[in-house]
Amino acid sequence: MSKPKDFETALQRLEEIVRKLDSGDLPLASLLEVYEEGVTLSRFCQTKLEEAERKVEILNKKADGTMERSPFNEPDPGPGSQD
Amino acid sequence: MNLFAPRKIYTVSEITAGVKACLESEFSQVSVEGEISNLAAAASGHLYFGLKDKGAQIRCVCFRGKARFLKFRAEDGLQVIASGNLSVYEPRGDYQLIVDFMEPKGFGSLQLAFEQLKARLHAEGLFDVQRKKSLPLLPRCIGIVTSPTGAAIQDILRILRRRHENLRVLIYPARVQGQGAATEIAAGIRALNGLSEIDVMIVGRGGGSLEDLWAFNEEIVARAIFESRIPVISAVGHEVDFTISDFVADLRAPTPSAAAELVVSQKQTMLEQVAALENRLQQSFQFRLSQLRNQVLTLSADRVFASVGGRLGYYRQRLDELSFRLESRLGSHLGELKGRERLLAADLGHFDLRKMLRLKRETVGSQFSRLQGASRLFLQSARGQVQALDNSLQALSPLAVLDRGYAICRDVRGNIVKDATILQPGDSFSVRLARGQVEGQAKRIQAAEN
Repeated sequence: MSKPKDFETALQRLEEIVRKLDSGDLPLASLLEVYEEGVTLSRFCQTKLEEAERKVEILNKKADGTMERSPFNEPDPGPGSQD
Repeated sequence: MNLFAPRKIYTVSEITAGVKACLESEFSQVSVEGEISNLAAAASGHLYFGLKDKGAQIRCVCFRGKARFLKFRAEDGLQVIASGNLSVYEPRGDYQLIVDFMEPKGFGSLQLAFEQLKARLHAEGLFDVQRKKSLPLLPRCIGIVTSPTGAAIQDILRILRRRHENLRVLIYPARVQGQGAATEIAAGIRALNGLSEIDVMIVGRGGGSLEDLWAFNEEIVARAIFESRIPVISAVGHEVDFTISDFVADLRAPTPSAAAELVVSQKQTMLEQVAALENRLQQSFQFRLSQLRNQVLTLSADRVFASVGGRLGYYRQRLDELSFRLESRLGSHLGELKGRERLLAADLGHFDLRKMLRLKRETVGSQFSRLQGASRLFLQSARGQVQALDNSLQALSPLAVLDRGYAICRDVRGNIVKDATILQPGDSFSVRLARGQVEGQAKRIQAAEN
């Protein structure tokens, strides 16, 4: 069982495993292994869904034409801000 | 008739100049309504055409300097009102209308331009559904092409903040109205395409008049969107505003806020999908276990093979190992679910008590307690089932083999005979079949041929 590459691949593999289990032709020896892989993939997917950093940046064009990033100052909506 | 009266004789140039002067002074700044015919767009950028009605036709020319400012495309058959001055083209003696300005009759230039570009790009395949890219399941970085001071960026960031989304956002600042806006927007789309980390792009602006939104109806923007490698969500103005960008984009959002919602809604869908898959995983696994257990129980009623050793030790050890792993897996999984529930509960505490959010919290809560309950139950029953399998596995493996028609041969001491040369002619042996046993005596020994 190799470590999943990315979310999309992991999700695809998880679907495949569930289908395999559903089909019911797995021998006992691989049943637990496949199940275990499924649980690992499910956890990987959930972790991926939770993780990510929050960062807002803006691109600025420099004199030489290249782009430079700088933080974008989000105005503080303050308490009670509405739509 | 006096044949000798002095006659005024003009040269061709003189009379043409006279007619020209007369026409130009008499018909300056006129507006003429008619249908465009025989349109020829010269490489120089000048437009040559005729304006006609039922009874007459007049030649027209619109020079490049003026033609450039026509929003719509002049086409044969179009009813227009053309304004300008009458003049004479001396080399041919043709009189013609020098058109300064032209607008379609019955509706505005912009509206016509919109319809024309839409029809043209549609015919070219820029709106084809099969060309549209799907949004990434889990975007990590969104690129946004819009004004950094406009309403759209504020709306998008507010939605992402409110949904507690941890995404990276990269803004390409572009003017979104006025001269040059379309070029900047198109440049932004291309620039973001050069950055590998961007998973999805929002291109748009807040509401405004048709003129304000016009940049998003320009061909240069449409082409940049079409060529984008990154999926593009078009989010221009309000719900009722449709632009060419909306038709070309991979997805149209009715507003910038809605675009932000679309990007993050995928994540909610994914969370639900992963939870559903895990649920099916558990159920299938449990079902297979009980199937196997039933099989084993049925077979183990037959005690014939109770003494067979060999690989059984391996299977038993493997089972011990797997059941231990399963147990710790489920145990930590349960712990993780509890942790997530606590985190979610803490997160939810920050929300105000608006109705929608309250409903959402209840759904999430009940899903988690259901999953938690299911996992606990599952852990108990899986443990029992693994134990049952372990107890009865001894009978399973060899019987399955014999059932397929194989037999086990033993010598008089009860050792399994795997090699013919172990026996001598005259030795007794026994053969165990799937059902019953045969005793025999060796007649002839034939060694394996290599």
